Amino acid sequence: MKIDAAIVGIGASPFGRFLPESQLGLMAKAFKAALADAGLERSDIDGLSTHMGSPLGVDYDRVAEAFGLDIRYVNQSWLHGRFVTNALQHAALAVSAGLADVVACVTGISFTRERDLLGGPGDMEGMREEGGTHGEAPTYGLTAPAGGAALSMQRYMHLYGGTSEKLAAVPMQIRQHALLNPDAFMKEPLTLEKHQASRMVVDPLRLYDCCLMTDGAVVLLVTTTERARDLKQKPVRIAGMQGIRSGRDEFIFAPPGLGINQQPATGIRAKPVDQEIYARSGIDRGAVKGLYTYDAFAPLPLFVLERFGFCGAGEALDFVQGGTIGPGGSLPLNTHGGLLSEAHVAGWNHLREMVRQLRGQAGPRQIADADVLQWATCWGDSVLLAA
Amino acid sequence: MTAPPSESAPSSHAPSPHAKPRPRMSPDSKPFWDGCRRHELLLPTCEDCGRAHLPPGPVCPFCFSDRLAWKKASGRGRISTFVVVHKEWFPAFKPDLPYNVVQVELEEGPRLTANLVGHGGRKPVIGEAVRIVFDTIDDTLTMPRFEPA
Repeated sequence: MKIDAAIVGIGASPFGRFLPESQLGLMAKAFKAALADAGLERSDIDGLSTHMGSPLGVDYDRVAEAFGLDIRYVNQSWLHGRFVTNALQHAALAVSAGLADVVACVTGISFTRERDLLGGPGDMEGMREEGGTHGEAPTYGLTAPAGGAALSMQRYMHLYGGTSEKLAAVPMQIRQHALLNPDAFMKEPLTLEKHQASRMVVDPLRLYDCCLMTDGAVVLLVTTTERARDLKQKPVRIAGMQGIRSGRDEFIFAPPGLGINQQPATGIRAKPVDQEIYARSGIDRGAVKGLYTYDAFAPLPLFVLERFGFCGAGEALDFVQGGTIGPGGSLPLNTHGGLLSEAHVAGWNHLREMVRQLRGQAGPRQIADADVLQWATCWGDSVLLAA
Repeated sequence: MTAPPSESAPSSHAPSPHAKPRPRMSPDSKPFWDGCRRHELLLPTCEDCGRAHLPPGPVCPFCFSDRLAWKKASGRGRISTFVVVHKEWFPAFKPDLPYNVVQVELEEGPRLTANLVGHGGRKPVIGEAVRIVFDTIDDTLTMPRFEPA
């Protein structure tokens, strides 16, 4: 089966902290905006792919019930951001296989109300029979995803050299993008001094190396390329995709070979199979005009650059110095401001931005000739979107 | 206040916010914790391929054999990575802030997460040699930690 799918509608709620709406209320705003954007009716939606379900967010059946939908294909993932394009890929697979005509990818989160689930005494994942999936060790006081990113960055800096000052290049450039985005929560420039003066959260990560905790919702509508041609917006084609990697080679927040948890400590290896998306799609890495990634913590974009071959093993901290990933750089990264500076909508705000860029609707942030953009994560999944 | 015995703890998902979380013991991991109470570091080791693994699982993750035996490990290893926690995630750990958490690559191969003690409060160093020590919490729980070798 070939993937035959396009994103035809995007919608978002306002993003912010301690918003008055319920998670479902935020979703309703985004859902209506996405339908209006696509020129579709509620009755056209027959598939749901929800992300950030139990125990943090809203489950698919409550979404369908609350919005009066009539659904014949459902996919749902549990709370973690890692499943963002997993949910999008399920939507693409479903419309390609004819299991649904139009799938709504729905995520709405109130992190400001629900954040206690993500660390500390409420860390129910870390206390399960098999524990958490970010290296959590609650009995020793290590909890929350930030701990896993810190375990990786500490070893990375030891093996390849690196400092907090050099790492600051990631959040500083993502902030520069955010300053061009009126939706971004962070409105002030991030200087090196400000970054270095910010409090240590879990050494080696400082406050500005960690993402925002905000509220917001995004809805994306996916259908076949044939149907997309008849709709209101210029379609954004899903031009390639590859899934999440898992196995003893993998730790969620480390590239293969870094040696975190039970990973082999061979040194970072960019494996050919982890870059299969380029050959499978017929799109070269060099054609990618902008890169989008899950920037929950500042080190994660570094691991993506190495895993996908934008630079060699251990070279990413040098690669990102000098404006490479900022506005006007050779590889703009998270041009909306990402999780670090726009809002934490679990990566769906990134996909919304990719669609706006490929439609030419990104205003002052517009990447010139944006015809191919890539989503890629340090846990190995990827999606290529094309105009 | 006496902490509840660990045997009754596993059914509780959320630990009390006032106490440090206790380990969740499963049928696969209980022999590890029983070993700690006897001040022995035991690793599930494959009787077919000879390799040890952590965290304890029901089969050998390398050769998928069911033939596992608990073997005493040397307790020696090297720090492979660490963090220093500054944020107060757990009220119960507040008096310890900032505190370290280390991952130690044991001589037998698997890595064990714990913390470094007896080091004078300095930062752990990646690559430094350490050895296991056992910290008796109460009658039912002994926690492994590491000290400089």
